[in-house]
Amino acid sequence: MASIVSTLPFVLLVSLIITLIFYWIGGKIAPKGTKTPGKLAPYACGEDFPAEKLQMNVQNFFIYAVYFMIFDILAFVLAISFVNPGLMPAFFAIITLLAVILLLPLLKLKQKV
Amino acid sequence: MIIEILKLLIIPGIFFLFTLALFYQWLDRRFLARLQNRRGPMHTGSHGTLQPLADFIKLLAKEDIEPEAVDKPVFRGVPILLSTISITALFFIPIWGVKAFVHFEGDLIFMTFLMTLIAILAFLGGWSSTNRFSTIGGLRAAMQTLGYEVPLSLAFIGPAIVAKSLSISKIVEWQASTGIWAIILNPLGFGIAIIALLAELEKVPFDLPEAETELVAGWQTEFSGRKLALLRFAFDLELVLAAGLITSLFLGGPAGPFYNIPWVGVIWFFIKTTIVVLILSNLRGLFARFRIDQMVSGCWKYLVPLAIIQIIFLQLVLG
Repeated sequence: MASIVSTLPFVLLVSLIITLIFYWIGGKIAPKGTKTPGKLAPYACGEDFPAEKLQMNVQNFFIYAVYFMIFDILAFVLAISFVNPGLMPAFFAIITLLAVILLLPLLKLKQKV
Repeated sequence: MIIEILKLLIIPGIFFLFTLALFYQWLDRRFLARLQNRRGPMHTGSHGTLQPLADFIKLLAKEDIEPEAVDKPVFRGVPILLSTISITALFFIPIWGVKAFVHFEGDLIFMTFLMTLIAILAFLGGWSSTNRFSTIGGLRAAMQTLGYEVPLSLAFIGPAIVAKSLSISKIVEWQASTGIWAIILNPLGFGIAIIALLAELEKVPFDLPEAETELVAGWQTEFSGRKLALLRFAFDLELVLAAGLITSLFLGGPAGPFYNIPWVGVIWFFIKTTIVVLILSNLRGLFARFRIDQMVSGCWKYLVPLAIIQIIFLQLVLG
C-alpha cells in the first residue's frame, strides 16, 4: 500500500477536518445566549477568584522533566537493543535499575536537609 | 484511490472507530454500574446502547461559554487537537488484519510521542483556562501522565524486543505467524502497561487531575458545550486506543484461529479488547483514589524498577 491515502499526514489531515466539522456543527446548532458578567467570570463555587494566572513552582518540575528525559532515552536505547539481545543490554539495564534504587534514598536525604 | 478513501472514512476508518469508541463507553459505564449495584444507562436505544451518542449530541447542542480571561487560541485548540490526535493514533492499531491502515518502521516510538502530546495538551488546557481549579488540575495531569509515560514506554519495549521490530503491525504479524503471544514472555509488562494506561486515561484510582470533590472537574472545569463534547469524545477514543494497544502488543491483536479469513480477525480483536476494557473498568470499580505522593512514589518506586527487571529478564531469556 504505497498510496498517499494510507500515509500519516493524510490521515492526520482527515482527522483534523472531521473534528473541525463536529466543532462547526456544534457552533451551528448551539444556542447563542447572552453574555452576562457571571458567564464571563472564571468558575468558582461561591468564592471570588480573581481571573489571574497562578504562579507555580517550576523548580520541582525541572527535576521531573530531567528524569523524564533520561528515562525516555534509556527506553529508546533499550528499544533498539532488539537487534542483539543478550548480556550487554541486560547489564546496561541492571546499572540503571541500581541507579533508580540508589536514587530514591538519596532524594529523601536531600528533602530532610 | 476512491476505495482507499472509503476505507479511511468508513470501515477500518473513522466511522468504525467512532462506533467502537461509543460502544466501549457504554460497556464501561454499564459494567461499572453493575459492579456498584446500579443499572447504568437504560433508556436510549436497546439497553442504553445509544446513550453515549445521545450524550455527545446533547453536549454539542449546548451553549458554548467562554470566560473572558481564557487564552482563546489555546483554549479552543486543545479539544480539537486532542480528538484529532486520538483519531490519528487509532489508525496505527491493526484491527482488520495483521497490518494497520498506517504503518511504518518505528511507529511504536511515534505512538509514545503521541501519548506525550496528549499529556501536554491536558496541561495546556488547564493552563489556558486561567482558573485555579484548572491550573492545579493541569499541573497534576502533567505530573501524572508524564511520570507514567516512563513505565509505559518501558513496558511497550518488551514486545518489541521479542518480535525484533519497533512497528506495531510487525509485532502483531510476528505474534500471528508464530502463534506466541507476547504476554507469555512479558507477564510483568502486561500488568505494568494496564496500570500505566489507567493513569494515562485519568481513570478512577488515578483521577487526581479531575478529582471532583476538591477540584470541581480539574483541568476541564471551564470547558463547556462543543468543546466538552470533543474532550469527552477524545477520552472515549483514548479508551479504545489503550485497549487496542494492549491487545495488539501483548495479546496478539487480531490473531487467533482462522484469522486470515475476512471478518474473523476483527471478531478476535473485538473479543480481546472487550476483555481489556472489562479489566480496566473492574480496576476502576475496585480502588479508591490514590493520594498524590502515593501516585508519584508508586510510579518511581515500583513500576519503573519492575519494568526494568522485566526487560533484564527478557534480555537474559532471548540472549
